[in-house]
Amino acid sequence: MGRNLQLENLTKRFGNLTAVDHVNLEIEEGEFICFLGPSGCGKTTVLRMITGFETVTEGKIIFDGKVINDLIPQKREFGIVFQSYALFPNMTVEENIAFGLKVRKRPKKEIEERVDQMLDLVGLREWRKLYPAQLSGGQQQRVALVRALAPDPQVLLLDEPLSALDAKIRVRLRAEIKRLQQELKKTMIYVTHDQEEALSIADRVVVMEAGQFRQVGRPVEIYQSPNSSFVADFVGTSNFFRGVRNGDRVQTERRDFRIARFESLTEREIFLAIRPEKIEVFKLGEFPEGVEKSNLARGRIDVITFLGAAVRLTINLEGEEVISDIIEKEFSRKEFKQGEEVHLYFPPEAFMVFSAKEGSR
Amino acid sequence: MRSKKEVQGLTISAPVSRDRWLVGVTMGILLAILAFFMLYPVYDICKLSFLKEGMFTLKNYQSYFSNPRMFRSLTNSLYVSFVTTVITTFFSFFFAYGLTRTTIPGKNIFYTISTFPLIAPSIIQGLALILLFGRNGLITRHLLNTDWNIYGATGIIVAECLYCFPNALFILYTTLSAVDTRLDEAAQSLGASALKTFFKVTLPSAKYGIASAAALVFNLTITDFGVPVVIGGNYSVLATEIYQQVIGMQRFDLGATISVILLIPSVGAFLLNYYLTKRSYALISGQARPFLQPSRPFKKWAFTIYCWIPSAFILIVFITVFAGSLVKTWPYDFTLTLQHFDFPSLGGNAPLWTKFWASVLDGEWKSLIAYKYAPIWNSLWVSVLVALGGASLTLLAGYVVEKKRPRGVGILYTLSVLPAAIPGTVMGLGYILAFNKPYFFIYGTFWIIIINIIICNFTLGTLSSIANLKQIDRSIEEAAISLGADPIKTFTQVVFPLTKTAFFSNITFFFMRAMTTISAVIFLVSAKVKLAAIEIIFLDIDGRTASANAMCTIIILLVVAMLVAMRLITGKSGLKGMSATA
Repeated sequence: MGRNLQLENLTKRFGNLTAVDHVNLEIEEGEFICFLGPSGCGKTTVLRMITGFETVTEGKIIFDGKVINDLIPQKREFGIVFQSYALFPNMTVEENIAFGLKVRKRPKKEIEERVDQMLDLVGLREWRKLYPAQLSGGQQQRVALVRALAPDPQVLLLDEPLSALDAKIRVRLRAEIKRLQQELKKTMIYVTHDQEEALSIADRVVVMEAGQFRQVGRPVEIYQSPNSSFVADFVGTSNFFRGVRNGDRVQTERRDFRIARFESLTEREIFLAIRPEKIEVFKLGEFPEGVEKSNLARGRIDVITFLGAAVRLTINLEGEEVISDIIEKEFSRKEFKQGEEVHLYFPPEAFMVFSAKEGSR
Repeated sequence: MRSKKEVQGLTISAPVSRDRWLVGVTMGILLAILAFFMLYPVYDICKLSFLKEGMFTLKNYQSYFSNPRMFRSLTNSLYVSFVTTVITTFFSFFFAYGLTRTTIPGKNIFYTISTFPLIAPSIIQGLALILLFGRNGLITRHLLNTDWNIYGATGIIVAECLYCFPNALFILYTTLSAVDTRLDEAAQSLGASALKTFFKVTLPSAKYGIASAAALVFNLTITDFGVPVVIGGNYSVLATEIYQQVIGMQRFDLGATISVILLIPSVGAFLLNYYLTKRSYALISGQARPFLQPSRPFKKWAFTIYCWIPSAFILIVFITVFAGSLVKTWPYDFTLTLQHFDFPSLGGNAPLWTKFWASVLDGEWKSLIAYKYAPIWNSLWVSVLVALGGASLTLLAGYVVEKKRPRGVGILYTLSVLPAAIPGTVMGLGYILAFNKPYFFIYGTFWIIIINIIICNFTLGTLSSIANLKQIDRSIEEAAISLGADPIKTFTQVVFPLTKTAFFSNITFFFMRAMTTISAVIFLVSAKVKLAAIEIIFLDIDGRTASANAMCTIIILLVVAMLVAMRLITGKSGLKGMSATA
């Protein structure tokens, strides 16, 4: 067993407000974990408790078999990458990177070698003598990343590290962080509110809401089998219908869908969710054969949004709005127009079902 | 504290966080300093005014209010402070308006001139007015040949207006440059006339700034000692009355009583200013400075001429005092001479410096530089120590308050900003009462003066440290800690380098205050311990006006030299934001 990080009933209260509510998680050494959630869900508070900058109200943080609740931050040997980079403006790139080694009084030779190694890791060798203000945002965050890695921390914690960057750089740096993580096999905990970022980067994603862990799982699990309507809505996009169960069918306000799986759900009041890309769109002429008739509907294309590789159609089903994504190739072939009447097919196996009691969207 | 928690028999015991311990100790020391050197003296004053032989009594207050001559000092103080407040606020508002809302030429010159009164003791306004309008004034005696002179209320008001001008101006300048000018443009585009826009939009949006400037002027005037003591004549105000009672009549009890009476309006004005400044900053919008429309020619000319009026007054004050120190017999014989710089034997002895100069100089130079200039060397070295000590302590206080926020930090913050509310004369008297005891060994030495000046100016130092530390992202410090730096390394290698500019500007501020302050330290100087700024008053009282001017000139030159030196070191002008509030 490696040096695992465990959260046990971890709780943080600020006065009457419970920011983090009895959460439990075991993170294995070398794992890449992503905390994903809307702002104010408590994800940063969890991270700050792990770093030691926030005290723990209740519960335990256990690292390598020891409770570290009361260990001061500089003794935890966890590296941190901040959203605001937090580079020391009065030091050059190499001085920034060397800082963690210098305060640990490592030999000069070792520091030099380590700094070189770190600079190579992110390809910033020729920038070493510059000050942070002379670098672009992306370069600054690369420096911050290797500065945190330089003292060889046990765990690397990243607090929305890419939020302040442009979209293009964000995607590139994301890939770089992933590559680094795989090369160094370092435990990384990454906090973000960007679901695409979380799904693309992490080994496991923790979806948080209102101080609680809603779902923990691999990205594909989270996306394909969300365990709640909140997760289905927050991660990716979903169309929702509220309805009443009747055997293998669900009666919604206007429709009667056949559903392939109900999982273990027993309630009568049900939330149905379906991903936009699962809904099939047909021209009126090409009526689909051999499909469940009750899962077909007729509607009008209200809005066409070009997303690049995909095209998003907002379709009006007699007053109900449904979003459907089709790939660009299909869109061009079928030549859909705004205002055109189309048929929609909701495959019975594509539905995700949730209890309606857990709250509306 | 949380209890230790066990997992599989392994426990990391909570290491008594050295960080928290260090912060706690630092705060404890700062609190002890402020309590002992600020609260204790004020407490002693209150005690003396209310107690007689251990019994509570209002007898002192009775004798104050039943003695019309003494009671007049209260009404006099309120009167001159009120009039000064109205005039100064009015003039500085339109001056600030000209600098921020019009496109007049020479804004930098106006701004620079308006800061001049900060580099000299407040007394300079009084000296200049006496040279011009006194009994032997250039204008009153020489040009108009009238018996009217400026001594009394008029003189105090004019001098205080000049003295308070830059302080009020800084607040109004900040307010007016922060309030969104697009509001004005919006009002005008909706059809409001320029005058209507001014009264309905500009003025209301600056109301907190105006009120806060007024409160500050009131506080500065009612607590000032230098101006009324030279130009007040028989017109007594609270600050001078305290000095009269204590030093003149040895009536410490009455001095203490008047001090308590003076504390009420000065603390009130301070609280008002403090509260209003916060309100005023809440109105500041982020994008407040779009392009300024060129002003119409009439507006431009009117404001240019208007801004020259206070500027000219300030320039005249300085030129007059310089001239007064350089001519043989003002205003009769304008032959240039340096004789007034050869001070009538002040005597005195400056530790270290007298010895040093005496060993390197000979003859007349020796007696001049080593002995007659002793108060100047004293002032210089007191100022250097005040600058270093004050800037360091206020940086620490600001750091604890803004960044560490331990439990009870509110008390430290309150004590740190409180000194500005306490008039210098009150603090000075409090020091005599509290520390003039045989076992209190630093009383009667320079150290008590150094501590006193640091404490009296603690407010602005702390507030400017806090303002500066606010700009440092919390993450930067956390980054250093997470990389393994201990609290001391974090402070010295990361936080301090980032606050260097503020630190140096605090050094400048404390140096200036130490060179020019009069009101508190006048109680603490003695025949053995003399300071340059105080000597101005004694020279003036002795009728050696020209030498008083010369001493004032030397102080100004030293402060200017310091500003130039700091500018060379830091590459930045040290004067901005140097007024008596943040």
